[in-house]
Amino acid sequence: MSLLDIKNLRVTFDTETGPVQAVRGVSFSLNRERLGIVGESGSGKTMTGRAVLRLIRPPGRIEADRMTFDGQDLMAASERDMRALRGKRIGMIMQDPKFSLNPVMTVGRQLTEGLRLRDGLGRADASAKALAALKAVQIRDPERVMGAYPHELSGGMGQRVMIAMMLIPEPDLLIADEPTSALDVTVQAEVLSILDNLVRDRNMSLIFISHDLRLVARFCDRVLVMYKGRIVEEVAAGKLLEAQHPYTRGLLNCLPRIGGPREPLPGLDRTGAWAE
Amino acid sequence: MSLIEIDNLSVTFRAQGRLVHAVEGVSLKVEECESYGLVGESGSGKSTILRAICGLAPVTGGTIRIAGQPLPSPRGPGFAAQVQMVFQDPYASLHPRHTIDRTLSEPLAIHGLRDSDARVVQALVDVGLPPGFRFRYPHQLSGGQRQRVAIARALMLQPKILLLDEPTSALDASVQAEVLNLLNRLRAERGLTFLMVSHDLSVIDHMCDRILVMQHGKAVEELARADLAAARMTTSYARSLFEASADRMLAAP
Repeated sequence: MSLLDIKNLRVTFDTETGPVQAVRGVSFSLNRERLGIVGESGSGKTMTGRAVLRLIRPPGRIEADRMTFDGQDLMAASERDMRALRGKRIGMIMQDPKFSLNPVMTVGRQLTEGLRLRDGLGRADASAKALAALKAVQIRDPERVMGAYPHELSGGMGQRVMIAMMLIPEPDLLIADEPTSALDVTVQAEVLSILDNLVRDRNMSLIFISHDLRLVARFCDRVLVMYKGRIVEEVAAGKLLEAQHPYTRGLLNCLPRIGGPREPLPGLDRTGAWAE
Repeated sequence: MSLIEIDNLSVTFRAQGRLVHAVEGVSLKVEECESYGLVGESGSGKSTILRAICGLAPVTGGTIRIAGQPLPSPRGPGFAAQVQMVFQDPYASLHPRHTIDRTLSEPLAIHGLRDSDARVVQALVDVGLPPGFRFRYPHQLSGGQRQRVAIARALMLQPKILLLDEPTSALDASVQAEVLNLLNRLRAERGLTFLMVSHDLSVIDHMCDRILVMQHGKAVEELARADLAAARMTTSYARSLFEASADRMLAAP
């Protein structure tokens, strides 16, 4: 049985002009592997990730024929059951540390909050565990970072703090929503390799959501390409360059390449039947 | 004589009594009709150089000359007619409560140019937007359309030089491709000179003839386009930037 099994997931928002479907019938299952979800803005990739944790606020609605995690029915679970899953079994890393960390709480307090409330650890035990987590994401001076507020950290440091925070409860499944798109290329590579090692060492499943096909190909086993709320193609990451679907090919071709030709970059052709 | 000559430029900010050297002794020359790229991580001072040219950063040393002339301070209308800037985030750089028409006609009004009606319509057509967008507000446009408006605004006074500060980093890959194509077309048609900042080496490589790699406010290495493609960089920092570029990730799985 697979760890996560989703069949015909739909996310609908009721707006003044009628219902808008952000996710239109997505099905996939996930084992102990690293799955990438790629697409442009508005393709529904983030909504798919959030729907797994049932983190979509009204007026948004989640519907699915089946959505199970480790045998447990996520659609039927109570809010209380969901709270037990969030963080502990399924973790989520958000996009931008500037908006996702509490600006008026020190990093140390944010890291130990869950340990103390959820796991009932004492102050000393909790901070020892938080320090270890900061070391695991290769923060050089963890004692200083524990006492710092988020605005005192650089983007790369903030992102590592968020990764550390999500890894403390050792979830079975980690959903990373554009974890590095706010970072510089050099820092990006570093943060991704940290994430990659941690996921391998702890034998976690990973859903990696990104708009960058090239990153996803490097860090995942399998890639789902989404467009307008649907999965248009599923490819093994190693075979991404041989992808057949015109949308996937379009996404690959519109990226400039170092040493590539100076001609105009090909645009995306959205005229096929798939673009409906 | 080069069109843009920057000689030994230093920019120093004072933050909480501490001096921050954002740019230290950077020199560069951009020829007419050339496209010149500045690359580096955040905090390397690349955007600060563009801001210094516009008079938006505290220059503490060195000189900037455009077409051989030192720049007046404050910059004045003559400068605006020659040099214009396109900013990174089109969500932040367009006035949210001004229509596109007002945004585009403002520079014309300031410079006392007639015919603003025809010019605004022509500017929209030039950047590939339907003239019907003229009376919309920025929130009614997508990110790519807004960036087109920002480019149209920069071109209203028909400047010779465009300073581009990460013009596509807030956009999707397919939209990025459209905006880069637009910029290249406009440069060819109008003989523009670009000074472009980006952290994405593959974008810089696609757009620029020569590249300056920067780190911690200092110039690290200047590369011609062919040297970059052939990985003929001499400094380890330029090489690490090259190795970390997303483009390489796909090439070497």
